[in-house]
Amino acid sequence: MAAFLTDPFSSDHPTAVQTSLLSQALQARFDPSGQYIGAGKMDGTALIWDMTTKSSVRTLPGHAKAITSIDWSRNSRFMLTSSKDWNVVVWDLSNECDPVQRHATVRFDAPVLAAYFHPRNSKLILAVLQTGEAYIADLRKDSRSQMELSDSQEESEDEEQQSSKTRIAITTARFDPTGKYIFAGTAAGSLLVFNTRTKTVIARHKIPGAGSIKTLDFNESGRRLVTNSSDRVLRQFALPSYPSSGSSTETEIVGQELRPQYTFSDPINRSAWNGMSYSAHGEWLAGGAADSASHKIYIWDIANDGRLAITLDGGRDPLSSIHWHPKKSIIISTTKFGTILVWHHPTPERWGAFAGDFEEMDENFDYEEREDEFDIEDEAEVKKRKMKLEEAEVDVDTIVDSNGPGGNSVLQRQASSADVDLAWADQDPDDDTVPWILSVLMEEDV
Amino acid sequence: MLDDKILPNGPFAIVTDLEPSPEAPVPTNNSSALPVDPNSPGFELKYTLSGHRKAVSVLKYSPDGKLLASGAADKLIKLWDTYTGHLLSTLEGHNEGINDLAWSVDSVYVASASDDKSIRIWSAESGTTVRELQGHTNFVFCVNYNPHSNLLASGGFDETVRIWDVARGRTMRVLPAHSDPVTAVMFNYDGSLLASAAMDGLVRVWDSESGQCIRTLVDDDAPVCSHVKFSPNSQFVLISTQDSTLRLWSVEQSRCVKTYTGHANRTYCIPASFGRGRAKWVVSGSEDHKVYIWDLQTRQVVQVLEGHRDVVLAVAVHPKANMIASAGMEKDLAIKIWVNAPPVDSAADVVGEAPVS
Repeated sequence: MAAFLTDPFSSDHPTAVQTSLLSQALQARFDPSGQYIGAGKMDGTALIWDMTTKSSVRTLPGHAKAITSIDWSRNSRFMLTSSKDWNVVVWDLSNECDPVQRHATVRFDAPVLAAYFHPRNSKLILAVLQTGEAYIADLRKDSRSQMELSDSQEESEDEEQQSSKTRIAITTARFDPTGKYIFAGTAAGSLLVFNTRTKTVIARHKIPGAGSIKTLDFNESGRRLVTNSSDRVLRQFALPSYPSSGSSTETEIVGQELRPQYTFSDPINRSAWNGMSYSAHGEWLAGGAADSASHKIYIWDIANDGRLAITLDGGRDPLSSIHWHPKKSIIISTTKFGTILVWHHPTPERWGAFAGDFEEMDENFDYEEREDEFDIEDEAEVKKRKMKLEEAEVDVDTIVDSNGPGGNSVLQRQASSADVDLAWADQDPDDDTVPWILSVLMEEDV
Repeated sequence: MLDDKILPNGPFAIVTDLEPSPEAPVPTNNSSALPVDPNSPGFELKYTLSGHRKAVSVLKYSPDGKLLASGAADKLIKLWDTYTGHLLSTLEGHNEGINDLAWSVDSVYVASASDDKSIRIWSAESGTTVRELQGHTNFVFCVNYNPHSNLLASGGFDETVRIWDVARGRTMRVLPAHSDPVTAVMFNYDGSLLASAAMDGLVRVWDSESGQCIRTLVDDDAPVCSHVKFSPNSQFVLISTQDSTLRLWSVEQSRCVKTYTGHANRTYCIPASFGRGRAKWVVSGSEDHKVYIWDLQTRQVVQVLEGHRDVVLAVAVHPKANMIASAGMEKDLAIKIWVNAPPVDSAADVVGEAPVS
C-alpha cells in the first residue's frame, strides 16, 4: 500500500468479519507475504487460498489423517503440513500443477502435533510429536538426520538418582524468529531453550503456576514470547539475551525464573485458549477462546499495559485456530466446522475523494481567506511560476515501502558469516530467495 | 499469411538529431533545446512489420520482452518476435475490433478488450482463448493485469470499471467509476491501488481491495483524459489529455509536477509510456503522425520519430532493450520498431517501464 494513504499513527485492530471462506479447514495460516492462506482439513488435504480473489487456488493431497499444523518458508515457496498420520510433508509451490505434488515427506514414529520450518532454511524442520518428543529433521544432503531434542542434564540426574525414568514431555516447540534457538514448552510448565545447531540446552525457565505449556508464539522481533498453558492464562515474557554459542566451550546454562510482563485471561468464563497471535508489529495480541458454544476473539492492547481492547464475536461455531496477517490489520480464525473467518478493520468511505479539490473535515470551522486568495493574477505570471515549479526533479523509480521493515527484518539484520549458528543454518540453502508468486493456473474452458 | 512480411530498415526517413527534418514542428517553449545531440535517445527505424488490415489500436511488449502483441480494428491480435520481427501467430476470435491488450506477469497470457463487449484471455503459446469474460454492457476499451496477474481490471463505454477474478473468470467488483467512457485502467506496482481515466476528465485512484475511491485528480479545465499510467514506483501518474498535453501528477500531493507538450492530441486516446536510457524519457504517439520523446526531468522534446503516414495510436516501450514499437491508423497499418544504436559509453543503457523487482 502506498505510504501516504494510510495513517502511520493508526494501528487498528480488526473489528468485523469481512468474509468467510468455506474450506472445511481446522487450521489456517498466512504466508509471510499475507497474500495466501494455507488451510489444513480434517481429511488430511490442505488448500491454498488467495486473499486477493478469496478463492482456493491449490489443493495439496498428502495426508491420510487430519492436518495438525501448517508453516510457510520465508518467501512462501515451500509450505509444510504436519498430520496425525505421523508424517510431515513439504510442498514446493514452484511446480505449476494442481493438485500439487509432494516435495519431501518426513516420517516420524508418532502423530505429529506441530511442525515448523527453520526461519532461514526450509531444509531444517522442527517437529513435535504426540508422545512428548521434539525432533529436528535435517533434510540437507550432507547432514541428513533426525535429532531428538532432549534435556541431557536432566536425564543424567535421573540416572544418578535412579528415580523413575519418566522424562518431562515436550508439549510444544518453536524456532525463535532468528532461528538460533528453539523454545520448547514442557508438560511440567517449564521452558527449555535449545541452541539449534548444537541441540544443547542453554536455558531452563520455570514458569510458576502455568501447568502444561500448550503453545507458544513470538512477536516479530523475537524479544517477546507468549505462552498458552493449561491454567487458561496467556503470559507474555520479555526474553533475556542468551549467550551466543562458540564464544566459550562450556557455556553456562541460564536457569532463571521468568516472570511474565502481562497475563491475559478470560475473567468471566475462565475459558481456555485455542490459539494466540501477535499483530504485525506486536502492538496487539489476539487470543482465540476455546469455548464450545461461541467463537470469541479477545484482543489486548500491548502498548497500553495489555488492557483488553475488544472482544470479537464470530457466532456460535467454536474456534479452532487463529492467525494475524503478517502486515495488515487482518485476522483469520477457523471454526470447528471448517469455515475460515477473515476479520478486518473496515474503513469508512471517504466521499470527498470523489471530487478533485474537496477536503473532508470532521467539524465546521470559520474559513479565513488569505489576503491574496481571490486576487486576479497575471496569467503569464502564473504560468511562469508553474513552469518554475516544474523544474524540480522527480523520482519516478524509487519505491518507498510503507510497511517499513518487513517480517524478515530480523533475518536481514544479522549477517550470517558473523555468527556460527546462522552460518550453520545457511549451509546448503533452499532456493527460496525471492518473494514467491503462485502462477495463476487456467485450464482451457472455452 | 502471405502478406505478413518484414521489411527490415524500411524505406522511410530516419530522423536523427544531425539531420532534423525540415517539416518537424518546433515547439515554441523549447525551440532552443531541439535538437540537442547529447540528450537525444538516438532511436532509428529497425523494422517495419505489416500484417494488420485495419487501424492498429494497441501494441504491448510481453514482460519478458520476447514478444510484441498488436491489436487492431480488424478484430485480430498478432504476436511478433521482438528481436527478429517475425509474425508468430494471429489470434482470431473477437467479433469486433480490439481496443486494448495486457500481458500477464509471466508472459503466458494476453488479455484483450474488444468492441464486442467481451474480454478474452489467450494463451500466447497455443493461441487459443482460455477465458471469455462477459459482463460489460458496452465496448470494452481498456484492460490491465495486477502484478500477481490473478486480477484483471477493465473499463469501457458502459462507464464502469470491472475487477475480474482471472482464474474463475468472474466479476469480483464493479466500480461505478465515471460519468463517461473509461479510457484507461492500471494497477500500481504492488496491486493495492488502481487508477482509472475517463472522458469525463477525471483520473480516479482506488483502493483495489476495498473498491473505495482514494483520490480524484482533475485539471482546472478537465480536458478529456485518454490514458493514465503509474510511474514505476507508483508515486506519480502520467496522464494524457486531449488538449495535446501530458501531465505527470503526484498522487500523494494531488498536484501536477510536470507537463509535456509539443505533440498533437485532440481526438484519439493515445497512450504514453516511461522509458529509460541515458536519461529517463516520456514517450507518446501523436496525431501529426510522429512519436515524441521527452526528457522526463527537463520536459524538453529530445527526439521525434518520423515515418508513419497516419495518426500514431499505439506506442510501446520494451521492458528491457532500447526499443520502441509504434503503429498508426488506416493510412499506414505498419508497425514500426525503433531501436537506438548501442551506446559506446554505457552498457547499462536500458529502456524500461517496469521497476526491477
